[in-house]
Amino acid sequence: MEIWRHEAGRLGRAACAAPVVAVATAVAVAVLAAGNGAGRAQVSLILLTGLEALLPLAVAMAATSVVATGRAHELHLSLPTGYATVLGRRLGLLAGATSVVAVVFSAAVWAAGLWTGPPVIASPLVWGPPVAWLAGLAVFTAFLTRSMLLATTVTAGVWLAHQMFAPAFAARAWARPLHLFPASRLDADPGWITDRLLLTVAAVPFAAGVLILLRRPERMPTEEEV
Amino acid sequence: MTGVRETLAVARYEFRMQIRKQSLWITVGLLACLLAAGRFGMGPRYAPAPSGAPAREVMTRWAFLFSVILPIAFGMALADRLLRDRRLRTAELLASLPPGPAGRLAGTWLGSVTATGTPALLAMLVAAGYEAVRRGDPATLGWGLAAFAAVLAPALVFVAGYALVCPLVLTAPLFRVLFVGYWFWGNLALPVTLPTLTGSLLTPVGSYAASWLLGTPVLQAGIPGPLPFLRPAPTTSAAAASIALLVVAGLLPLLAAGLLRTRRHPA
Repeated sequence: MEIWRHEAGRLGRAACAAPVVAVATAVAVAVLAAGNGAGRAQVSLILLTGLEALLPLAVAMAATSVVATGRAHELHLSLPTGYATVLGRRLGLLAGATSVVAVVFSAAVWAAGLWTGPPVIASPLVWGPPVAWLAGLAVFTAFLTRSMLLATTVTAGVWLAHQMFAPAFAARAWARPLHLFPASRLDADPGWITDRLLLTVAAVPFAAGVLILLRRPERMPTEEEV
Repeated sequence: MTGVRETLAVARYEFRMQIRKQSLWITVGLLACLLAAGRFGMGPRYAPAPSGAPAREVMTRWAFLFSVILPIAFGMALADRLLRDRRLRTAELLASLPPGPAGRLAGTWLGSVTATGTPALLAMLVAAGYEAVRRGDPATLGWGLAAFAAVLAPALVFVAGYALVCPLVLTAPLFRVLFVGYWFWGNLALPVTLPTLTGSLLTPVGSYAASWLLGTPVLQAGIPGPLPFLRPAPTTSAAAASIALLVVAGLLPLLAAGLLRTRRHPA
């Protein structure tokens, strides 16, 4: 238990708060929209966007900060517990915090009668695959390029491109399963669950890439590079 | 005058330091290449100008193609700039130098704006050179510079002010999340779906300046929405007002941070 408490401390306040900030922002925008005369359907869509789009972005950015705050890599090389394990623990904690926030948020939205999109029981498939894919991309880019600027910009650029060019994804059969935000940006699709599982599988190469890069500790980002 | 000289010295140092950052060049270059390569499939707003179009239209289309995503790179690049001084423990050393806190902040901002703007300007000039050769019209070079100054530069000034100061309060990761969310909400989301500043004078994506250069409303300039007084018809004076407002709004966080720092650490 002590080690997990320590790792939670090393995650930092910003990373821990990221999932909460994401859903809180969605709620704030929904309240603003409702106050501006938006209908129930529009408010529901904003809340769904918070869960499907804003939460993955926040978690991906938090994941890059987990890489950035990793210190004393040389020391880790001399310890029985490798840096990969430590990074895994920290990202696992972030994933756990994200899951708790997402499940509570989904339940609250459903209880308020504002849930829209797929059945609420499948709600983890709304936020889980984009969280895994986007966070995987962010961490992989951070280790590959040793640059937080590239990691955060690539992640943000991909997120923005998926938002802006959603119709282009919908128009191509091969691209549709890879779209990050189908519930909030695309029309209903009977193969939705398969698409989400495919997107989750598409995150595996990023995880494999990170593990390969971690086997070369001399390539890890230094304190000055991050 | 000494204060101005010191501020310019800080700006020169900052510029030299940031212009050597490989990641800045790679990031802006990568985004510009991806945007240029993908523009045919990005919808009619971003598509290349038809053959025979005037140089002014050709280069304005390039400017608003770049202005949609490139400022994200500016924000990401500058988000941890002041935090780095603290993290690398150089803040105290810098505080012992002749420029006061306000001068140091102003110099850092000026150097950051010019350094992050350089790769973007180069991207515009490369696009202008390409169009000049393809269309046989060297005027694209001049219009490339004009479109950069009217559309991209105000966005950079606006973003730089907030990207330097806000992370001091929010932390860099939170600022980055909120910044990307803001960019989508405040520039691209339509007022019919959300109460948003999209299409107003305070839209850093440059909708008013681009509309003025093109002679027709683009990027939702003047679209009906909240704060109607910020949504005049996109005329020349409205474009000038938009540029001025963006620059002033971008300087506000610097002013606030400068005042706060000077009060905390008087020279």
